[in-house]
Amino acid sequence: MTRRILERLAASFAVIFGASTLIFLILNWLPGDTAALIAGEGASEETIVRIRAQLGLGRPIGQQYWDYMVGLLHGDLGHSYATRAPVLQEIAGQFPATGSLALAAAAVAIAVGVPLGVTAAAYRGRLPDQGIQVAGLTLHSIPAFWLGLLAILLFSVRLRWLPVLGGNGFSASVLPVGCLGIAMSVSIQRLVRSGIIEALQEPYVTTLRAKGLRASQIFYVHVLRNVALSTITLLGVLVGELFSGLVVIETLFARPGLGRLAVYAMGNKDIPLVQGAILVTSATYVAVNLLVDLSYAWIDPRIRIAAANEGA
Amino acid sequence: MNARRRALFSSATLAVLLCGALHCSRADREASAASRIRPGGAPAPGGELVFGFDGAAVTEFNLDPEKSAFAPHHRVIRSIVDSLVVAQPGHKFGPWLAKSWEVSPDGRNYTFHLRDDVTFHDGTKFDAEAVKFNLDRVSDPKNALYAVSDIGPYAGSTVVDPTTVRVTFSEPYAPFLANLAKSTLGIVSPTAVRKYGDDFPHHPVGTGPYRFRSFEPAVEIVLDRNPDYKWPPAGAAHSGVTWLDRITFKNVPEEATRVAVLLNGQANAIDLVPPQNVAEFRTSSEYRLLEGELLNQNYSLYLNAKRPPWDDQRVRTAFRDALDLDAAVKTVYLGTFDRAWSPLSPSIFGYDKTLEHTWHAEPEAAARLLDEVGWKKGPDGIRVKDGKPLTVVFVDTQGNREKRLDLMTILRKQLRDTGFDLKLDSQPSGAYLAKVAAGEYDLVAGSLFAPDPDVLRRIHSRKLRTSFAISKVDDPELEALLEAGSQEVDAEKRAAIYAKIQRVVLDRTYAIPTYVLKYNVATSQSVRDVAIDVNGFPVFYDTWIAR
Repeated sequence: MTRRILERLAASFAVIFGASTLIFLILNWLPGDTAALIAGEGASEETIVRIRAQLGLGRPIGQQYWDYMVGLLHGDLGHSYATRAPVLQEIAGQFPATGSLALAAAAVAIAVGVPLGVTAAAYRGRLPDQGIQVAGLTLHSIPAFWLGLLAILLFSVRLRWLPVLGGNGFSASVLPVGCLGIAMSVSIQRLVRSGIIEALQEPYVTTLRAKGLRASQIFYVHVLRNVALSTITLLGVLVGELFSGLVVIETLFARPGLGRLAVYAMGNKDIPLVQGAILVTSATYVAVNLLVDLSYAWIDPRIRIAAANEGA
Repeated sequence: MNARRRALFSSATLAVLLCGALHCSRADREASAASRIRPGGAPAPGGELVFGFDGAAVTEFNLDPEKSAFAPHHRVIRSIVDSLVVAQPGHKFGPWLAKSWEVSPDGRNYTFHLRDDVTFHDGTKFDAEAVKFNLDRVSDPKNALYAVSDIGPYAGSTVVDPTTVRVTFSEPYAPFLANLAKSTLGIVSPTAVRKYGDDFPHHPVGTGPYRFRSFEPAVEIVLDRNPDYKWPPAGAAHSGVTWLDRITFKNVPEEATRVAVLLNGQANAIDLVPPQNVAEFRTSSEYRLLEGELLNQNYSLYLNAKRPPWDDQRVRTAFRDALDLDAAVKTVYLGTFDRAWSPLSPSIFGYDKTLEHTWHAEPEAAARLLDEVGWKKGPDGIRVKDGKPLTVVFVDTQGNREKRLDLMTILRKQLRDTGFDLKLDSQPSGAYLAKVAAGEYDLVAGSLFAPDPDVLRRIHSRKLRTSFAISKVDDPELEALLEAGSQEVDAEKRAAIYAKIQRVVLDRTYAIPTYVLKYNVATSQSVRDVAIDVNGFPVFYDTWIAR
């Protein structure tokens, strides 16, 4: 098991290294002069040259890459071109807001998606199932931006139940978390529903029924556990989707966050900042998927046993 | 609509009908509007203004007045720093940190007599040394400050005595007072600049009515009352400290969200209300709406005259004639913005009023002109010459700010009717600047906030131009006029020069101005006496909250 974890960790580092190398190359290859962007419109040629020198942009690409990677190994993500502040500090300022928003949204997605999926499967083809499917399809077709606006109009302006601004306070987080989580719950609901319907037709269910187990026992102990595997895998994938949704929600609700930071940094070719943001995002993505991988063994005894045999 | 609002609506309708029936003059109506905006009651100290402003998707707050080029940040900075002079209506200037000043007859020396009772927020004294430090700081190329373009041919400052400073230019420099009144040349504390160094944009220290307290990146900036303040500019409604204890500037980049936070009471003021909500706020009894022209070079389309098809002036003229700006501006801004007639916004010194209503859509003339030049309509309606379609590429980086892309979409349709194929090429700012520098575009567009017509020199002058300039015009006559305009100290002669310049830019179709931007602020009814200054920036010095 330890070996398996170590292997996965090594692979994760390779993924993060690859992602940061790729983004370094893409950003350098994109047209645009960072120094001119920082100098602002109407700046003189002399100013731009001076800024270029200050930022060390005159160095060859290979050297810039080498310096960056050496810094990275020492835990130094460099300094933002635009603000000159350490990248780590810039990101640390934005990450908690994004992290807590994402985590809460994922929790809402599970809390809403799983019961709805179970209900839909249990009432397959009947009114509750149809209702859930139609509602899901509708929610899925509404862009996050529009959904957020409607939620603001209804809950914040019309009913005055919830504030729009307020950073990470609980009541101010309800709308953004709800918008993200509910949109995400649709995929989970569908997967759970189809997973259950499929599993109910498996031979092992027939065997369990023949053994005389109660329907609820078959459902909660055996079927759901089988469905959990694919649901958790989907959750790992959805984290990526969540990060892209964050950009929109952060702007709409005027919240701080990594999404806004990354988009702004990208437009300004603030390479160290973009790299830092992507590094943190990809590390989070990889970490979540690592946890997903490891949870398989916990959920599915077959994987645990196979891993144990491998180790022997 | 609840009963109260319905009653209000019908009484408002009645009032309008009555006003029409009695033929009351526009001035009367304005007077009644003004009294509605400033109802009775004495200002009371205390309270906080929560101002939801459009700070765009920018996550970095740069509050160094001399460094920031970003108008939304200057809307905050204006409350932190004071200027030597204040711009007043009618192109006049009033005293502020300078009690009085003299300009030498040759327009090269400006001598300022300063107040001697002014201190910076850090407790240090404001004096002639501080003014010299600020201007020297701006002019030093090592500092790479944006405000350097506001001091033109600056040669140096001389401290005559602690309250007298003489600023010298190598050539006459007429725009100086107008630029000096801008917040970009707001005076900052030399001690604080030395203390904070590169981090000064996060620790702004001025002499303004509010002092910087804290900020949270991308989210908010908090300013507190300056307890020592007693040097407001000429024209302020009161003297002494501000009524408000605090202003919190909340960055709310999404326009619908801004309106929502005013309606739900989370903010008591917002700016840049979108056109679809302006009418609602104008007539509301629960909210007030202030509007003021932002002094600027109007959002204009720049035709790259360096390459075909724009190297032929007739094609440029046909392009302009094909546009129906009256209809496009009305459709997009719902009548809240006027269409532009000149590159300059109407309140800038030298604006040529005689240009108004002199040019309109002339699609037939455009078609005739294009036929003459050899651009004939092809089977799909797009004109063709020597096998090449009449495609023009518009390179853009700003997105739909101020609904600019909506405007372009309508213009695109109009152009198609005449046979132009307008293509939109949206790029991140880095790629955009690279394309502009390489001249790989037919059309770009932009605006520039500025209180003086000299802004046209910054845009069109070949001499001042960097490779990223949006105008590629190379016209010796225009160059000479722009230079003369910047040096002419006689107001009448100077205005005449700019009238000529505006005609040249329009007649030779170097740029096509589109709309006149109005900056606006909507507040809840309890917020009183927010002002928009002559340059179009919000002022909160006299602001108070009724309870």
